[in-house]
Amino acid sequence: MTEDVVPVMRIGDTLLVALQGDLDDTTVIRIEEQLTREIANTSATGMLIDVSRLSVVDSFIARVLARIVAMVRLLGAQAAVVGIQPAVAITLVELGVPMGHLDTALTAEQGLALLQRLRRDDTGTDLP
Amino acid sequence: MSTSSEDVRDPQASLRDLEMMLDAITDQAIIKLGPGGEVVRWSRSAQAMTGYEQREMLGRPVAVLHTPEDREAGLAGQELETVRRDGRRTFQGWRLRKNGERFLAQVTLTPVREQDGTVGGFVKTLKDVTESARAESLFHGLLESAPDAMLIVGQDARIVLANRQTETLFGFERDELTGREIEVLVPARFRSRHIGHRDGFLHDPRMRPMGAGLELYGLRRDGTEFPVEISLSPLETAEGRLVAAAIRDVTERRETEQRLQRQRDEILELSTPVIQVWDKILVLPIIGTLDTLRATRLTEGLLEKIARTQAEVAILDISGVPTIDTQVAQHLLKTVQAAALMGTVSIMSGVRPETAQSMVHLGIDMGRLRSRNTLQDALQLALAILAERAGTAAAATRALSTGEGR
Repeated sequence: MTEDVVPVMRIGDTLLVALQGDLDDTTVIRIEEQLTREIANTSATGMLIDVSRLSVVDSFIARVLARIVAMVRLLGAQAAVVGIQPAVAITLVELGVPMGHLDTALTAEQGLALLQRLRRDDTGTDLP
Repeated sequence: MSTSSEDVRDPQASLRDLEMMLDAITDQAIIKLGPGGEVVRWSRSAQAMTGYEQREMLGRPVAVLHTPEDREAGLAGQELETVRRDGRRTFQGWRLRKNGERFLAQVTLTPVREQDGTVGGFVKTLKDVTESARAESLFHGLLESAPDAMLIVGQDARIVLANRQTETLFGFERDELTGREIEVLVPARFRSRHIGHRDGFLHDPRMRPMGAGLELYGLRRDGTEFPVEISLSPLETAEGRLVAAAIRDVTERRETEQRLQRQRDEILELSTPVIQVWDKILVLPIIGTLDTLRATRLTEGLLEKIARTQAEVAILDISGVPTIDTQVAQHLLKTVQAAALMGTVSIMSGVRPETAQSMVHLGIDMGRLRSRNTLQDALQLALAILAERAGTAAAATRALSTGEGR
């Protein structure tokens, strides 16, 4: 059993994950292991990924986020990114880092509402 | 017979030698005067300089060469009297050639004493210094009339020469500056660095233009500082390498630049307002052409406001933008993307029919950006989005409290 590398908080059936510090390839793999395990174990239906405490948000992080979101979706849950600061947003857009496919919200509260919409859309389209 | 006795044996020959040597001097007129100032001997160079021949001048007073004013004032007699009393004297004065042309002469007047000590005559030499005097007066005129403070500094960094502008600019008298180190005009906090710079310049002197990207300051006598621009150039002279410095006070220009910058900032601020029209709804009325600078300012302003107000919808009203070209569209898209990263939905409003046509013809793709014809329509859409979100938010809260997810 691997150790937890990121703090994960559970609010209802949503997991709040706070990424922090510098992320390298090894850490990212361990984070992915931990988060997929948590989703499976808790049968949570949503995950909010807070990036406000990351020291850098660049194209590498963008790819990491996209991967986590894809994994979470495969496990039947919805994921959204929260906590992107104004300066970070401008840098990402100026660098042309593709973030369009990510669902984002400013705060955790808004993120919860966003997840709710995503869940509804998800079940809505899946209904026969 | 020995050669040493030859001179003694032939005084005539040695006299001829002396005459030849005298005649070989061409830049000095040499005149022998009697005790009363009458011409006794007139050298060939005197003839060349004045135009008078020896036979014309013999026995005539040397005052013939003086200007009418000087002659009237009896200057020639006074000169002779002074020299008779005090000995040899060198001075400058205006003289006349035979053709009436004036020239500035450097005169050396030497009394010739007899055995008993009485003055039996004078030797007068004249040198034409008109040209060099003119060059010098031109140089000084140039230096004095220059709009910049001009300084000439020696190898030892001491001030050799300063013009009037230097006095005005720095508040020092010229006499106080001459001989002082140049650092007296440099604010204390830059002095040690300045010494390094000037040593470097003296070793490898190159013309350096005013400013050259540096922010420089001068120090006045009263201790106040002011921004300056300085140009340096090496000056090779007989006394070695000197450095000429031109110093210009740029206080006014700096102030103008700063004022312009402030005004530009203010205009930018005014031209990119972000208005909160409703809870969680921001409107950006964009007026005029959107260039890169304004677009950046616009995005920053919007994102700051989003962070502060937690707005969820931003309406970009482009009814005041004359034309939407690829560039402007690109800027708008970036703003929309940056806002989206902060969880804010953007709506474009104020698209006129012709704008819609030209945008499609230009192949501008605004992606999934929602657009409305009028600001009113956009506001309605924004409220609808908010209401829908509020509904899901309430559902989310309910779900949380009841613990039901799906």
